[in-house]
Amino acid sequence: MWFKIFKFELTYRINRPATYIYFGILFLMSFLAMSTDVVRIGGGAGLVKENAPVTIATMMGILSAVFMMISSAIMGVAVLRDFEHKMESIIFTNPIKKFDYLAGRFLGSFVILLFVFSGIWMGFMLGEVMPWRDADKLLPFSAWNYFQPFLVFVVPNLFFTGALFFISGALSRKMVFVYLQWIALFIVYQVTLIITGELDNRSLAAILDPFALSTINNTTQYWTVVEQNSNTIPMEGHVLINRLIWIGLGVITLIIGYFSFSFNVVKSSWFKPKQKIQKAEKFPDVDIPKVTQTFGLAVTLKQLWKNSWFYCKDILNSVVFKAITFFGIFILVLNSFYMGRVFGMNTYPTTYQILQLISGFNLFFLIILVSFSGELIWKEREVKINLIYDAMPVKDFVNLLGKFFGMIMLFVFMLAVLMVTGVLIQVFKGYYDFDIAVYAKTLFSETLFFLVLYTLLCFFIQVIVNNKFLGYAVIILFFIATGVLSTLGVEHSMFQFAETDLGPYSDMNGYGHYVTSFSWLNIYWLGLAMILFVLATMFSVRGSEALMKIRFKVGKLRLTKPMVTFLMMSVIVFVFSGGFVYYNTNVLNTYQNSDESEAEQAEYEKTLKQYEFLNQPKIVDVNLRVDLYPKRRDYDASGTYILKNKSDEAIEQIHVQQSPGNEITLDSLYFSVDAGIEEDFEKFKYTIYKLKEPLQPGAEIKMHFKTRFVTKGFVASNQNNSVVYNGTFFNSSQFPSLGYNDGFELFTDDDRKDHDLKPKERSMERDDPRGLAHDFFGDDSDGIQFEVTISTDPEQIAVAPGYLQKEWEENGRKYFHYKMDQKMANFYSIISADYEVVRDKMSIPLDSGSKDIALEIYYHKGHEYNLERMMRSMKNSFTYFSKEFSPYQFTQMRILEFPRYASFAQSFANTVPFSEGIGFVVEIKDEDDVDIAYYVTSHELAHQWWGHQLIPANVRGAAMLSETLSQYSALMVMKHEYSMENMQEFLKEEMNRYLSGRANEQKKEMPVTLVESQNYIHYGKGAVNMFALQDYIGEDSVNMALKRFVRDWNIFVEKERYPTTVDLMGYLRAVTPDSMQYLVTDLFDKIVLFENKTETATYATKSDNKWEVELAINSKKLEADSLGVETKVPNNYWIDIGVYGEDEDGKDKLLYLQKHLIDKEDMTFKIEVDEKPTKAGIDPINKLIDRNPDDNIKKVTEQESS
Amino acid sequence: MELTITNLSKTYSNGVKALNDVNLTIPKGMFGLLGPNGAGKSSLMRTIATLQEPDSGSIMLGDLNVLTEKDEVRKVLGYLPQEFGVYPKIDAETLLDHLAVLKGIANAKERKEIVKALLQKTNLYKFRTKNLGGFSGGMKQRFGIAQALLADPKLIIVDEPTAGLDPAERNRFHNLLAEIGENTVVILSTHIVDDVKELCTEMAIINQGEVLLTGHPEKTIDAIKGQIWRKRIEKGELDDYKKQYTVISEKMFAGKPEIRVFSETQPDPSFDAVESNLEDVYFSQINAAVKEEEADVV
Repeated sequence: MWFKIFKFELTYRINRPATYIYFGILFLMSFLAMSTDVVRIGGGAGLVKENAPVTIATMMGILSAVFMMISSAIMGVAVLRDFEHKMESIIFTNPIKKFDYLAGRFLGSFVILLFVFSGIWMGFMLGEVMPWRDADKLLPFSAWNYFQPFLVFVVPNLFFTGALFFISGALSRKMVFVYLQWIALFIVYQVTLIITGELDNRSLAAILDPFALSTINNTTQYWTVVEQNSNTIPMEGHVLINRLIWIGLGVITLIIGYFSFSFNVVKSSWFKPKQKIQKAEKFPDVDIPKVTQTFGLAVTLKQLWKNSWFYCKDILNSVVFKAITFFGIFILVLNSFYMGRVFGMNTYPTTYQILQLISGFNLFFLIILVSFSGELIWKEREVKINLIYDAMPVKDFVNLLGKFFGMIMLFVFMLAVLMVTGVLIQVFKGYYDFDIAVYAKTLFSETLFFLVLYTLLCFFIQVIVNNKFLGYAVIILFFIATGVLSTLGVEHSMFQFAETDLGPYSDMNGYGHYVTSFSWLNIYWLGLAMILFVLATMFSVRGSEALMKIRFKVGKLRLTKPMVTFLMMSVIVFVFSGGFVYYNTNVLNTYQNSDESEAEQAEYEKTLKQYEFLNQPKIVDVNLRVDLYPKRRDYDASGTYILKNKSDEAIEQIHVQQSPGNEITLDSLYFSVDAGIEEDFEKFKYTIYKLKEPLQPGAEIKMHFKTRFVTKGFVASNQNNSVVYNGTFFNSSQFPSLGYNDGFELFTDDDRKDHDLKPKERSMERDDPRGLAHDFFGDDSDGIQFEVTISTDPEQIAVAPGYLQKEWEENGRKYFHYKMDQKMANFYSIISADYEVVRDKMSIPLDSGSKDIALEIYYHKGHEYNLERMMRSMKNSFTYFSKEFSPYQFTQMRILEFPRYASFAQSFANTVPFSEGIGFVVEIKDEDDVDIAYYVTSHELAHQWWGHQLIPANVRGAAMLSETLSQYSALMVMKHEYSMENMQEFLKEEMNRYLSGRANEQKKEMPVTLVESQNYIHYGKGAVNMFALQDYIGEDSVNMALKRFVRDWNIFVEKERYPTTVDLMGYLRAVTPDSMQYLVTDLFDKIVLFENKTETATYATKSDNKWEVELAINSKKLEADSLGVETKVPNNYWIDIGVYGEDEDGKDKLLYLQKHLIDKEDMTFKIEVDEKPTKAGIDPINKLIDRNPDDNIKKVTEQESS
Repeated sequence: MELTITNLSKTYSNGVKALNDVNLTIPKGMFGLLGPNGAGKSSLMRTIATLQEPDSGSIMLGDLNVLTEKDEVRKVLGYLPQEFGVYPKIDAETLLDHLAVLKGIANAKERKEIVKALLQKTNLYKFRTKNLGGFSGGMKQRFGIAQALLADPKLIIVDEPTAGLDPAERNRFHNLLAEIGENTVVILSTHIVDDVKELCTEMAIINQGEVLLTGHPEKTIDAIKGQIWRKRIEKGELDDYKKQYTVISEKMFAGKPEIRVFSETQPDPSFDAVESNLEDVYFSQINAAVKEEEADVV
């Protein structure tokens, strides 16, 4: 019997066009995703091929999660449709068994569901073989790569969700409940995403994710390129557990559903008792009173208000709305536990942090907006009261406008709720400095406008399309089309609906310069939205006519005088604001989409690359005058460079490169000797001057220039965030430089290929003499004498490298004159803001006597939280570095806060600009937390040595000399201040940075000594391996090597060339005993990974205070090549074996930690400790690179006594 | 005020001719629109109620052009559609009050009074706080009537108003309409002949979009007086009779068919003379039209 029902279900579905539409959607999406760049679904990049098994699995996971709605539509209605079509009485009175009915319907629908989702692999496969595909980006075709993830991920996903939707539809008999399940699943997924943010929670997230997306991510997070390209994701570990859990839940759902389902036609309500129907009585004889009808403006407004409130209340009362809102706020609150985490630490819940959190709710707003705009437009027609409503004497716009205002009232209410939620989150976190004005300004401008614009758009689409579900589809299509437009190069804000960016709020600069463009773009889009609204009013269906032709005829009748006036007004607003925006973005400023700017970059390279290594003089002296006008966001600058010919040949041409910024114009440039322009590449701001008399070796000339930075109106994208109202910060790159700048070249292989350029080497070879001849700041200087006078608004303080010589006021402006007393790198910053200053002093010992150092922090009022930590870090760092490496070269250090348009800190000579977004507002509560303020300060100060005292040559490995050594220096300062647990926490994050970084490598992984600006190597791996090095050979020895290194290679010493990692390795090897040389090689010259694991750990109690721990460990050593191909190499290493006990507070305490020689893969150890052991293992502190650091230690269990 | 319909035609996009050159003049008082299901009654009424566009023709309500001055017409219109729904989660009083606002009754006190009176008139006052979702078909219909009577309309269009009402309610409703109909144009569509007989001073019979007959019900009955004959026959004979005579209606009477035949003279002695009624008028018009059509086909 069940088979007949199954067959009937299949036949029914096979004849439904919906089945093929769903299949078509999935097929097309998959096909386009695989074969074009127009649709992108988390595809691979760089060296990971576009049809790599991992990429396919991820794309399949995403598609099966996103298109859950198809699953709900197919499975939800399998039983439900009998109720919807009121067929239940007929069907249920037939002699069929419950099992047959349910099994037949479920299996029939499920088979259809599988067919529909097969569109994914079919689309992928067809997409892969399209002739226009780039063979470089593809692996050879393999069907298994498609079927395996389909079977492992998609089918179980479909089974579980299908079972859930089927049963919830059958039991509730309402589609709404099916959708609620969908929302609930989405929430579970969101939760797993949120907790994935913390390293410690990743396993949990991997197990819990119903769509297995986190599972895929977590399993493959450390997979190298080769592994991603060759391995399918095995059905084991977390993947297996996750799949079993969700398939199991699916089965349980079906069983529960089977027992709960009943053939009763009348469902006993779960919620309310039946209302009693009272007997009707006689009609009383009353007269119908006379009333007055009025139709003035006041009444129209009243009708409008009544309607608005009516619709607002209607949504507020709907179950779906409550569910979405509840879930949204739930997610918001959950996210608040993890917000603004840096290195496992919380930032203070400042209002802008909370607002960023709240912006996560926008997705829910969008769901509400799209679904309820459809609901409202169809409200009357769905309950069939439309004819009564439509015959009411109300103006045509009242109904639609009422619905619109109803939505807006709802949104205002929700925004208020979000605001209260935000404040409550702050209160719960013990932060009381809420900025209600910022809340209100952001939510009721940026968020509200976004909602208003999209609501009007959705109304328009729903009215014109005049079919609710088709309307939804068109809206989704609109979103996709917007995305496609931007990939096609239509990126201008005037073509991206409602793209009006209020920018990041900064305590220092407020909303800053974003307000103007934001306001104008909103006026522009509002103008369009109003036009759409008038059209919607004209063509909305009133009465029973739905034909477009007739709606058009009626529409013309509706164009009353006020409507025409409003329409004209909207058109005027739209056209004029559009014109004004265009005038600002494209006339006052130059607009380029990314294709155009890429083309220009390519052209720059093709035209000027020939001059890259042209012999040029060096800048030896810089003297600047900068007049900042923060309120206008302008500055005037003039300067004089002294250029010296340091080569052996005479120089005839001077090549001057201006900053490419559109705001910057060069007013004049001339030399102290006669020179003429030989060639001017205006487009690239590159000018070749010819000296009348060639510049002889050793000779000097002066170069004078005058530039202006002028902010004109506003721009469409790439806002200038460097010259701002409060918190100006820019560096020397805004001033002229000499010669070709390879930093302007296109970088990624893909982009270069598009423009017929060969892949670019990220760095020069380590022995390339051209690279060795100059430092990594640039090839136009070997260090400069520096002097600058800056003027700014009177309430601001302007700062640049050097020491303050004089400070004065003149003509209502403030002047600061700085001068550096020694040679420094040709790399300087100009900073100006309204600062508070905290000052302190310290002294460092010198060979003879001591030296005082002034310490200053320039901060924004209110950001006092971590000043003390930063100050302490400065003192400890300077003390340590001066003692261990060399004395600090300056007598002052200044840390300066700048707005959070960027999140970094950067070291200039005696000056460290430090973003508002990091450090200043970080909350350091627990002892276990990594003190990021302390660490970043120390790292930046270390750069005064590694980068400023010792400047690396511009070849491979340069970043090891600057960044890795700074990481090491900061680690050592931290080590002396914080506990081992803190260090472990920190190193864990760095290890993760390395391991996940190498999984995303775009070209090739390099050993540390050959690093090519690869953050994950020079910061992440560098920190971990330097820590290991000092652990093995001793901190003193490492410091000794560094001391010698900086002594021999600092900038004050005359040298033939700049230092490289070859030099550093020499010093390091010199302090390393012969027995440890292999370690230095492994850590820095090779890519070596370990797989350390504790197999078993038991203990036996020997006496009251003697325990013997027995450990069985497994240790493998692997060597990887630049693509991640690993080969096992013999292990012959001294590795930590450790045993933990518990202290009085129940915290872990190391009872034993010793290095043991590991010369076999499997080994056992017996270790005696004198406290009760709890855990034990190999490399317990994770000093060595290991992709599964968690299995290094195990709980010890008592041996069974024999 | 008088409603004049001139040359009104409408063909739906699927080819169905809903209205075919309809001409009607509807004076004050109750006007019955009689016709079988699908005759075009509802289309005509929706068109008069400003909710549908004709292909051609005009409708004038006094000086008002119904097709273009929709807003003005709506101000004096009370409309009860044939099929309608209500918001299930709202009570009767609230929805009626809301509709009263839309009707332009701005004064809250007046609104309260009329809502109360209409709910009493339609015997819903008791259930005024009950959600409309719990209303029975009859209660819902009465609610529909109540809203159509809001704000003293000058033109009332009620489409199949007595559908779903029990006989007692139907009587009450008829009384209510009769009371109002004295100085208002009331158009009532129905396929129940008795409704028209009891209520209307003027009527039109329409079928397949065409007006077959207009006039005063009594006068139309008079017109066929003495031309209606009745006979009880055997089941098998029906077809023969249909071929031979103009059979206008047939019904079962004690298990045997009883036919009524239209004929100026007694067809044969086995036929009894009967008093003509409105139903005969109706069926003679409808079936005659059908017969003509069949003849065309042959």
